[in-house]
Amino acid sequence: MMQPLFGAPEPSSRTYWHPGADVLSGYAEGAVDEIGRWSVETHLQSCSACRAAVSAHVDRARLARNRAVVLAMTATPDVGVLSRAASRCGIPDHVLRLMAATPSLRRSWLLAVVGVLTVVTGEAVLARDLWPGGGRVVAGGAGRPGLTELAPFLLVGPLLALAGVAAAFLPVLDPSYRLAVAAPISGVRLLLIRSLSALLGALMPVVCAAVVMPGPSWLPVAVLLPSLAVCAIALAALTTVGPTTAVIAAGAAWVAPLVWLGVTRFPAEVIQGDGQILSALVLIVATLVMYLRRDRLEMGLVR
Amino acid sequence: MAWVIVPDVDPRDDVELLRGVALGDEGALAALYDRHAGWLTVRLTRRCARPDVVDQAIQDTFLAVVRAAGDYRGDGDVAGFLWGIGVRRLIDALRRESGVVRWRPWRSSAPDVVVSAEDQVLFGLEYGRLGQALADLSPELRSALEATVLDGLTCAEAAALLGVPEGTVKSRCHRARLALRAVLAEQPSSTGRFLRRQALESP
Amino acid sequence: MTGNTHDAAAVRVEGLSRRYGDVRALDAVDVTLDRGITGLLGPNGAGKTTLLSILATVNEPDAGLVSVFGLNPRDRSERVEIRRRLGFLPQELGYHRHFTVAAFLDYVAILKEIVDRRRRAEEVARVLAAVGMERFGRRRIRTLSGGYRQRLAIAQALLGSPQLLILDEPTAGLDTEQRLRFRELLSNQPGDPVVVLSTHQADDVAAICPRVVVMLEGRIAFTGTPAALADRADGHVWIADERDERAYVSWRDSENRWRHIGERPPGGRDIVTPSVEDGYLLLCHAADAR
Repeated sequence: MMQPLFGAPEPSSRTYWHPGADVLSGYAEGAVDEIGRWSVETHLQSCSACRAAVSAHVDRARLARNRAVVLAMTATPDVGVLSRAASRCGIPDHVLRLMAATPSLRRSWLLAVVGVLTVVTGEAVLARDLWPGGGRVVAGGAGRPGLTELAPFLLVGPLLALAGVAAAFLPVLDPSYRLAVAAPISGVRLLLIRSLSALLGALMPVVCAAVVMPGPSWLPVAVLLPSLAVCAIALAALTTVGPTTAVIAAGAAWVAPLVWLGVTRFPAEVIQGDGQILSALVLIVATLVMYLRRDRLEMGLVR
Repeated sequence: MAWVIVPDVDPRDDVELLRGVALGDEGALAALYDRHAGWLTVRLTRRCARPDVVDQAIQDTFLAVVRAAGDYRGDGDVAGFLWGIGVRRLIDALRRESGVVRWRPWRSSAPDVVVSAEDQVLFGLEYGRLGQALADLSPELRSALEATVLDGLTCAEAAALLGVPEGTVKSRCHRARLALRAVLAEQPSSTGRFLRRQALESP
Repeated sequence: MTGNTHDAAAVRVEGLSRRYGDVRALDAVDVTLDRGITGLLGPNGAGKTTLLSILATVNEPDAGLVSVFGLNPRDRSERVEIRRRLGFLPQELGYHRHFTVAAFLDYVAILKEIVDRRRRAEEVARVLAAVGMERFGRRRIRTLSGGYRQRLAIAQALLGSPQLLILDEPTAGLDTEQRLRFRELLSNQPGDPVVVLSTHQADDVAAICPRVVVMLEGRIAFTGTPAALADRADGHVWIADERDERAYVSWRDSENRWRHIGERPPGGRDIVTPSVEDGYLLLCHAADAR
């Protein structure tokens, strides 16, 4: 650390020497030789009066500008615990801040999602405990039409992920939406940054709930693909229709087949191979559509 | 566009201000800035001529103060604490800007400022023999001593700055101190003791 | 692709039309805007917000040409280029209520592609100083009164020193002193930008704008200086002790006498010098009568 220089500042017991005003101003202008500079700087360490005298030589406007910048920077602190980790991954600071501004990363939103998941998971756990022998999965069981208690979770999980992503681009959920539209930042970039961060924020509770759920151990993975597929449908639809329509269409695309299959059949269908492959296909197709029509992917102009 | 200048009217002393900063008091940070940013700017400019780099260093210094204020184990030398942060932020800023850190080259040119006779006498009393001894040191020894003693850098940091191995810095400091001790041993005086403590205290 | 920023008419609109269902918000509007402040005056529903949102590239017209600094907002890359030079204050701007003042401005600065953290802080500090909110950096927006929120809304539009400032009802919620400051602020913007602000209050226009455009029912009713607008009502404004039924509009003034605007005042009555508001009201009446 610092080398000890003088002891306590402002010693009063000995005669104290101050550099003359011209020496101080000479120092401030850089016109004193190095030995003199050494003397003055050593003296400045412990003399507030001479420090103030030296300070007077700095342009006031420059000091004020730096002051305002310091205060502005301290008023916008780092975005949180994850920011260090994220910046190490090479994610630039401004992208992090955009992600942090996404509504679905807000505490209130997360609480709502966690609340819904708790209800659904709790219901499944209760079902398992109250109805012994009902719906337990036997590892490698073939075509067992059980798992009914997983139905609410499987229905709701991907919809929650969709809701999270929708929060990234639905005008009603962004109070300063028109500012985002009128901004030069590329609509695609903003949309993707927000959607991805929203997706992360929405998927994590869902996957965590899947771990807790009484069901096959691969349930977390099983719920991941349909969730991604549903979100991809919404984003792909966004290239053609308005945000609200896109979200409704994606939600309907998930709910309708499940309703058609019926409560007893669809959990098994989703979890097993066929359902997963179908989800993967939908995901690939939707992503392709998104990519091909990416120049139409813009934070909605009012059309 | 007129930037607003705020006069320094905060009655708290430096240690209290640091404590305030550690507690998140923005007014304390502003007061600390008003009191110290000026001389820090000057002193940093004596190391690096580029005002934009010095501006960055000043801004980063006070940002760092916000984080470091809690770690201050006050012995009252807040100015030294701030300088320690400032010089390191300047090195960082220089490295960011140009990849290489270049302190201003030492100049032994005649000073532009004519020191008054009275000041010369005082200069002589305070720093006379030591000043002369410092001037007589070779530039490498002097720069090593300045980086470690005056700027307060560690030997490792000084080594990085001067572009020499750490061992070289240590030995140069040692030789410089020996030379100074030899000079001062000849004629001890109260001021000599005063300065001896400054220059000769071992790391 | 290139925009000539020294065009005589920096912003040009020709034959602009926009309808929402059956409602014609804009009907073949032609307007040119130059550097300096232009006021867009009109009652609610006149189409001001629609016109401003089209200029701000937030809205697309059904028909007509728009040229901003020589750039065409229908082309996607030119649209982005327009947005780079744009500062926009929409009507009833909403805020992320948990944000602090500085964090919100930082967010908008990022939207405006100011990537460097230090430059963002400089810009945030600059606009806060411009609207007189230097010490408000850490305040949460939800704790601000309406007047300060409006100042914040103006501040975010100033970020990046835009060349085109579109302000929809910027003086809403500001008191008289703040309006004076606002005028000063607009006149001191770096780079002499094109400023267009909308209001439904004629005295705003008189106080702030050297040029005024009156919009009524989706059409341009007047273009010119406030003085010329006032002159429209020359000889049509009189004051009497009693209310005159023949006037189009009458109301009690500050001295408790009746002020009238009408087609032709009865001979010999106290005809007074018309104000900008008088001219505006006369125009409104003419439009109603059609």
